[in-house]
Amino acid sequence: MPTVPQSNPVTYIVLREMRTPLLVLICVYSVAIIGMALVPGRDGQPMSLFHAFYFVMYTATTTGFGEIPETFSDAQRIWAIVCLFVTVIAWLYAIGAIIRLLQNRFFQLAVDEMRFARAVERLPGKYYILCGFGDTGSLLARGLSDAGIPAVILDKDENRIKALQLRDYTVPMPGLCCDASVPRFLIEAGVESPYCLGVIALTHDEEVNLKIAAVSRLLNPDVRIIAMSASAFHEETLATLGKDTHFVDPFKVFAKGLGGAIGNPALYVLNEWLSRAKGASLERKLNMPSKSQGHWIICGYGRMGRELYNILSGKGIATAVIDPHPPDQDIEIYIRGRATAKTLKAAGIDRAVGIVAANDDDGHNLSILINARGLHPNIFMIVRQNRHHNEIAFSAADADIIMQPSLITARRILFMLQAPLLRPFFIFLLQCHKDHPQFMETLFQRLKKTFGRAKPHLFTLNLESENALALTAAWEQGAEIKLGDILRDPRDRTSRLSIVPFVLRKGQELIYLPDDSVLLEQGDQLLLCGTESALRLLDASLNNIYMLFYVITGREMPRGYFMRWLRRKLEGADVENWHVRQEEMG
Amino acid sequence: MNLEKVIFGFFIVLALTLNFGFFLGELDNPQYHNVYELFILVVVNLIATGLKLGDRTQIGAILLSTSLVADMELIAASIYWTVVVHVTETGMTPDVTASIVSLSGGALVANIVSVIMVVAETLMLRR
Repeated sequence: MPTVPQSNPVTYIVLREMRTPLLVLICVYSVAIIGMALVPGRDGQPMSLFHAFYFVMYTATTTGFGEIPETFSDAQRIWAIVCLFVTVIAWLYAIGAIIRLLQNRFFQLAVDEMRFARAVERLPGKYYILCGFGDTGSLLARGLSDAGIPAVILDKDENRIKALQLRDYTVPMPGLCCDASVPRFLIEAGVESPYCLGVIALTHDEEVNLKIAAVSRLLNPDVRIIAMSASAFHEETLATLGKDTHFVDPFKVFAKGLGGAIGNPALYVLNEWLSRAKGASLERKLNMPSKSQGHWIICGYGRMGRELYNILSGKGIATAVIDPHPPDQDIEIYIRGRATAKTLKAAGIDRAVGIVAANDDDGHNLSILINARGLHPNIFMIVRQNRHHNEIAFSAADADIIMQPSLITARRILFMLQAPLLRPFFIFLLQCHKDHPQFMETLFQRLKKTFGRAKPHLFTLNLESENALALTAAWEQGAEIKLGDILRDPRDRTSRLSIVPFVLRKGQELIYLPDDSVLLEQGDQLLLCGTESALRLLDASLNNIYMLFYVITGREMPRGYFMRWLRRKLEGADVENWHVRQEEMG
Repeated sequence: MNLEKVIFGFFIVLALTLNFGFFLGELDNPQYHNVYELFILVVVNLIATGLKLGDRTQIGAILLSTSLVADMELIAASIYWTVVVHVTETGMTPDVTASIVSLSGGALVANIVSVIMVVAETLMLRR
């Protein structure tokens, strides 16, 4: 580990800046006190040193109790006038120096930094470091806060950090305005700490993201790194940083999400529902046109448009592109110019089944929507929303699918952190959908039956002693526990908790939508989707041995030594046997 | 119905009610506070503590600690009573009575906490 000088710059700066004012104060006071102790009073005797000290103390701060302890002589009064002026001026000078220091921007930065470092040290439990607090960053912070995971936030923009302080997160989220790629700030953000779960670099500058990733890897060889990057070059460099380094390309994620939505609309609906997106519901039906019905139009051929075109043409979907810039590859129908009524007609909008407005300008995208609606009212419309604050305009535009790159990226990262098994699950669903088209329908029926109108929560459960105390104890006593057992309701074991297990990981083996009869073992990882209350009850039965015993056997385990002894006498040795199960009713 | 819960609940609630009965009445008047009631109260509290031993949950641990608090205060009250009557032979003066009854008042609070926790845990499971 590299050693970095750990000093407290704030105390140091205050001491250094206050050195001269303090010296001035001391000198002025001592001269005033000595003078007061030498000037003769009314009886010819001067004051004692103590009385002189007392008098100067209350005069210097302009308190002025009067002539204490005795009425002064005129000589003393003259000296008192001198004292008053000199000490007040000295005080004004000292206070002025402090105020000047407090107003110094660099001093304020040092204070902020110190407070930030202290807040990071005081964070409860494990945390993430979030570099970049733009649209994606704030959505991610909200998601982490919902999951109860704290994050340390670094951003270059002072206003964003100020905005952060006004958010109502459920967990502390200390923020610092700084350049996150400077190693010192990353260290202050706690990158070296064993409690740091990972570094997430989401700044707009890819070079900065790369540097954050590299510095974090050097400072902490085991930390998980997720960096936003949109070019192949950066991705290659990131890949050399070793294990647990991931990159998220917002354009690719967006294009893949869109391609997935076109290929399998049900999966898109499921994803929206799992993300708890506004207005998402499993009942939603997307009338996605099939590829034989006609062609698609992509408006805008930037980085996102290109990814989109590649994915659509890869799926064998005929696609027309409209963009003012010349194409960089061979595209059959490519219309130069902005997407207007004229170019849209030229792209064959009257015959097209779908249109994607993928420009990086929200105004432009909205006008495409309005134009397309006028020219072909039934066309399937997908629109890219760039800025979070334009939400109201976009929901009023009534497009079939609104996609926000920042939101998609944030969700993708959140799923990566919270539910790493979700990606293989989606790949499995895509495969199943190809082989058995009815499969998704069955899954949807099951989810609808389990959840009703409740919101889903994804939860990754590691069956280890720290997360499942009671379960580990039960295993040690030789219990055989099936998945269906722990999913029973601890209030009434004949009913099930509102939880659907998505994936069970046993070592390298993945079991999708595992059956109730699967035997659980130590070290298994489960991806569960359940309501919040159901997940809490599950947590209770996994950690409370009496609840777990009831859930598994249907009998009550005796509590306390006496009751155990008594019931063994009365009922025999099977009282605490995990294998003796009560018969199911009905 | 569960025999274990019946026995457990019986002793916990009996401890509370006896405690309340002993506490009731003028604070410094020994006429209102019966020595046999205090004796039974100590015994019932000790039995309740014994029943709570060996529970492996967090709530079990807190229940046990409330019981131990009640035991401690009631035993202190009994010892005080014995000392004033048999050792110093000052008898049950008003200030001695007040100390004994206020100690049992402390135990009463511990017993109330204990009953609230048992009720809350039972309600939480609703079976």
